[in-house]
Amino acid sequence: MKNSLQGRDIGICQCPVCQMTNDVSLGACPRCGTQLKCRNYASLQQSWALLITAAVLLIPANVFPITIVTSQGKIAYDTIFTGIAHLIHLDMLPIAIIVFTASIAVPWAKIIGLAIYLTAISFRIPIPKRVLMTGYHIIEWIGRWSMLDLFVISITVALVNMGQLMDAKPGPAATAFALVILFTQLAAKVLDTRLLWDRLEAQDDASRTAENR
Amino acid sequence: MDSHNTTAKDTQVPEDIVLCRACDLVVSKQQLPQGVRALCPRCHTALYDTPYCSINGMLAICLAALFLYFPANLLPVMELHFFGSVRTTTVMGGATAVLEQGYPVVAIAVMVAAVIAPGLLILSILSQILLIKYAIDSKWGRRLLKLLLTQQSLLTQLSMLEIYLISFLVSAFQLSDHADIYFSIGTFCFTMLFLSVLFLLREYDLQHMWSFLDEK
Ligand SMILES: [Zn+2]
Ligand SMILES: [Zn+2]
Repeated sequence: MKNSLQGRDIGICQCPVCQMTNDVSLGACPRCGTQLKCRNYASLQQSWALLITAAVLLIPANVFPITIVTSQGKIAYDTIFTGIAHLIHLDMLPIAIIVFTASIAVPWAKIIGLAIYLTAISFRIPIPKRVLMTGYHIIEWIGRWSMLDLFVISITVALVNMGQLMDAKPGPAATAFALVILFTQLAAKVLDTRLLWDRLEAQDDASRTAENR
Repeated sequence: MDSHNTTAKDTQVPEDIVLCRACDLVVSKQQLPQGVRALCPRCHTALYDTPYCSINGMLAICLAALFLYFPANLLPVMELHFFGSVRTTTVMGGATAVLEQGYPVVAIAVMVAAVIAPGLLILSILSQILLIKYAIDSKWGRRLLKLLLTQQSLLTQLSMLEIYLISFLVSAFQLSDHADIYFSIGTFCFTMLFLSVLFLLREYDLQHMWSFLDEK
């Protein structure tokens, strides 16, 4: 654990585009021309802004109907929650679990996880960095799976268009949900994770020694 | 430009160290056995692996993917039989149906993730391979290769074939409660397209592709 020399300490940094290791004094990456910076401090604010936008959009995404299904003249407005409840009611538990994961668990986990992560950096809260980083890797990997519900809606809408007999349309929540995915993905992508390892150095070591006691 | 080159020589970074892109830790680079990936000792982010990046192998997979791309997107992927009426849809048809209902944001999301990004990804890798094979010495070839490599990680992130494949299954199960659902030839082509892109990206190594620009 002693060996924690960072690139910034010896004046080198990695190019964010082509991942070439360069001397910071070069100014621009000799291979791809990207501007070189040891840290992107503005990324923290940008990430917060995107995350808050996503959190606000999560409300219409869950409150408004995401699909409008007409079946034999009866019109049903399904939100994300009632859609899943409907699937459970029809004994389609595996599908219900997949849709629940993609449409509820993943977006919420992404927003709450990123909020914890950003709070830890902004307010220097002593949460072990290893835990935060593992969480971040998981968020990065599962984030895109929220797209599943939108794909399912597009296939359903294209197939089920038999007028009064049976018809499916997307609802306003679909747009909000698409934007939630966009903004959460951007919030995770824009953040310079190296900031976490700078800012929590002292606190985290303190919390680790406390655990050892 | 000349002064820039001299500073570049003065500030040469040692070859055997690598920085973690997530936490900036200085890690000394070591020889790895085939198929092993080096992880950052501090935050466990993937650092580098041994490139298994055969240009000719990738070219073959790329052509196969390109060949599958059009039937996968233009042939019907699913059929719905409901009281005698039959409905079919294609991958592209899903996006346009949502657009017709007045949801352009959703339509663009579906279109980009399932149709445009995978197509551009295949075309981009194919052009990169051809440039490396035939035009690496020319100035325009190097410039174009640089441009394509800069966009590569964005295209990989935007292309979501694997998620679309799962969504076929989910919608088939959901609809099977109301109507008879049949998979069509398009589903087969789409699955094969997904597999070829999967193998292509497994073979592809962005770091290795960049290194072609270093060799003079
Ligand atoms: Zn670069
Ligand atoms: Zn690291």
